[in-house]
Amino acid sequence: MGQIDIRGEEMRVQGLLDRFLNLRFADEGVKGGSHLDEDSLTAFVEGNVGEREAGPVISHLVDCTYCLHVTSELAKLQAGFADEPVNAPVAESQPSRLSEILGGLMTKIFGTGDGVVFAHHESEEEAEEEEPKEDE
Amino acid sequence: MIREIFAGCKANAPNFNVQPEWFRESIGRAAGRFISSSQSAPLESEIEDFIAQLQTEDLYLAVACANGCERAWWEFDQMHRSYLERVARHLASTEINAQEVVDTVYVELYGTRVVDGERVSKFSTYSGRGSLRGWLRTVIWHSLVDLHRASHDEVSLDEMTENVGEGVAHANLAVPSLGGEDSMIDEITRHRYRSATVSAIESAFASLDDHEKLLLLYYHVENMKLREIARMAENKNSPLRDWFQRKSPTREKNPESRIHESTIMRWLEKSYGKVLKLFRTELGTKHSLGDEEIAICMELATQDLASRSLYKNLSAT
Repeated sequence: MGQIDIRGEEMRVQGLLDRFLNLRFADEGVKGGSHLDEDSLTAFVEGNVGEREAGPVISHLVDCTYCLHVTSELAKLQAGFADEPVNAPVAESQPSRLSEILGGLMTKIFGTGDGVVFAHHESEEEAEEEEPKEDE
Repeated sequence: MIREIFAGCKANAPNFNVQPEWFRESIGRAAGRFISSSQSAPLESEIEDFIAQLQTEDLYLAVACANGCERAWWEFDQMHRSYLERVARHLASTEINAQEVVDTVYVELYGTRVVDGERVSKFSTYSGRGSLRGWLRTVIWHSLVDLHRASHDEVSLDEMTENVGEGVAHANLAVPSLGGEDSMIDEITRHRYRSATVSAIESAFASLDDHEKLLLLYYHVENMKLREIARMAENKNSPLRDWFQRKSPTREKNPESRIHESTIMRWLEKSYGKVLKLFRTELGTKHSLGDEEIAICMELATQDLASRSLYKNLSAT
């Protein structure tokens, strides 16, 4: 009996493994049950999940093809947009009212801006400034 | 510690009017999740390290936006809207979809749900563990998936995947009949070897470390390039980085050294070697096959299953 060709066998087992994994995992579809939330997915993709959290996250990814796929897509996306600079806010321009921005969006999406709570935090100073205008 | 971080953030953005308790509560939620992520209680220093690694400037902005601070929203809009639009355009099929997704994300970020009289902003789910931009990419991605599902609601997820899975697996592993009595005997033998092969490869994979499984799944199932996998391990805090640099003399000299594609390839090769060893052991012990029969299994596997080269992605990197 001749010697075992380890390198050749490794190549074969690699092909076998590739086919097995693709049949076994790629097409499982979305299973029920819980998935990693956006926060954990982001932290994992960016490498910000510490050793303590890593075990459960990695175990989940191995078992959940949906989250595995999401992390893979996000990693590709991250690589594609890695060099995008963060725009610094332009000091001269004036903030538009949040309620106006969102009101426009609501109307566009839902056909109406009604029923949406536009309560927002205002500092006491802002509230005081606005009160006299209402009196006028 | 939190007080110091808060003071630093406030100095950078004095107009956000974030109350210390909002910020403390947000960090407390993140730390709570960190503590409960493992059964053992963390050391105080571990919690401090965790908090120190949070993207606190991003978190401060998110907390301000979650509480409806207009100035914070304006800054968020200035800093991130065009980025969100570019990501959405990159992912979406049409310009209309991209804009629709960004609009939907804005509404979601503001929050339309009111619980106990309080509006629930999506921003309140951001913990600062990853960057705000990274988190926004994830939110955009999920919104696109939801939008896609909503527009294909007549097709269930089961129906979408009915043409794949086990049925296809069996079809692909099925062997064409050669015909004749001799070939029938041959076929029974082949079937035995094939069953043993499939069972052994499944067991071998199941015996791997979770890190090794994840690496193989990213490479073979998700078709990630070596450099994309390497990039995931680039952050010095990444658990994958620790794993890839395990036993590496380079790590001791320079713990922040880059993870190269060649490192990932080396780990893939190690994993293949481990799978081969486990595969052979499984065939030998559980299926009582000798070396010659194992060689037949390998030969059959080669005939049946198209092989792909380990080096397939190197040319693309």
